[in-house]
Amino acid sequence: MAPTGEDGADSPWEDVSDGTLVGRAADGDVAAFETLVRRHAPMMRAFAARMLGSVSAADDVVQDSFLIAWRQLPTLHDPAAVKAWLMKITSRQALSCLRGRPFDRAVPERECAVPPELQPESVVIRNAQLRALAAALEAVSEDQRQCWLLREVAGLSYEQIAEELRIRPSAVRGKLARARASIYARMEGWR
Amino acid sequence: MTENTPTRLDCGKTIEELSAYLAADRLPPNPDIDTCPECLSALDGLDHVAQLSRDLIARDIGRQSDPPESWITTIMSNIAQEVRSGRSLPLRHDNPEVTLSITEGAVRALVRSVGDGIDGVVIGRCRIDGDAETLDAPVQVTITASILWGRSPQDLSEVLRGRVHDALRQHTDLRVAAVNIVIDDLHHIIAESQITAESPIITESEDPT
Repeated sequence: MAPTGEDGADSPWEDVSDGTLVGRAADGDVAAFETLVRRHAPMMRAFAARMLGSVSAADDVVQDSFLIAWRQLPTLHDPAAVKAWLMKITSRQALSCLRGRPFDRAVPERECAVPPELQPESVVIRNAQLRALAAALEAVSEDQRQCWLLREVAGLSYEQIAEELRIRPSAVRGKLARARASIYARMEGWR
Repeated sequence: MTENTPTRLDCGKTIEELSAYLAADRLPPNPDIDTCPECLSALDGLDHVAQLSRDLIARDIGRQSDPPESWITTIMSNIAQEVRSGRSLPLRHDNPEVTLSITEGAVRALVRSVGDGIDGVVIGRCRIDGDAETLDAPVQVTITASILWGRSPQDLSEVLRGRVHDALRQHTDLRVAAVNIVIDDLHHIIAESQITAESPIITESEDPT
């Protein structure tokens, strides 16, 4: 049961758990690591793109994150929790990227492939709701947005966010409360 | 609505207060909030906004274009430069002038390839405990594996142990005191099933004669 084929896209490891693949990768198995890369890259890229406001910057950050992950895999205590661990690495890399070079945020609001009239009403409403959220997220301050994404999307604890942002946990709590209130207010009509 | 005007509910609580309450995981419990229908409904709304953020990322994932194959190749070629060879395990040679060894990484790769060759088995980790750098020092080999749902853990671990023993005897000079097999995962149940190593399904170990 080793991956066959050139692209590995339909790897026979599709159903094999993260924990098993992490064990192999920690032992030096490059193919198992590639399966993990393909499995978790989409989430990491989408998250980093929202953090950075740039798809190409996100791609660079995620590439670096995987290199760091490869080096640190043998130290991962709970192999099954690799997804949360990868998100934490991505968060850290995205933040250091943000600290390193300020750039214009320009998250492209990708248009839906299916024309609105062909979509069920629930889908139209849902898309409008998500667009409203995306706009609300862009409208809050940079530090509030970071706290928000780190907590609600990356799943970091207050203590972890405080450590990454180099602020006190109580300050994280305050920023999150303000971010949530502000996004909620901007979402009026869609909630 | 301006950024600085706190939105006040009819009951007198502000959205900021409720949000702070949520941020504190609703602790310590505030009966004023927990029994107020208006507050509870606003808390639901605030919670919903959090859920929506995850939905937004899920939608982003669905819409983003796949990374080019070259993007993956770059990652893989970067990590390939950082090989994990581990310890050097000595091999016997008739000529005492000659030093021969095999890396721990190569032995692990051997174990993986032997194990993966058994239908229904995917090897996870392989650990070699003991003074493997000294010839004739006894070592214990511990292997974790995931097996195909529906297959017998007893049968598969028996086959696995036998083949690993044979392969190590044939290709290394390790004095293998025991091959321990831990079946800690199943595959092909449901996608992304996460049966963790916290509760090994079966652990077998045996000292060969």
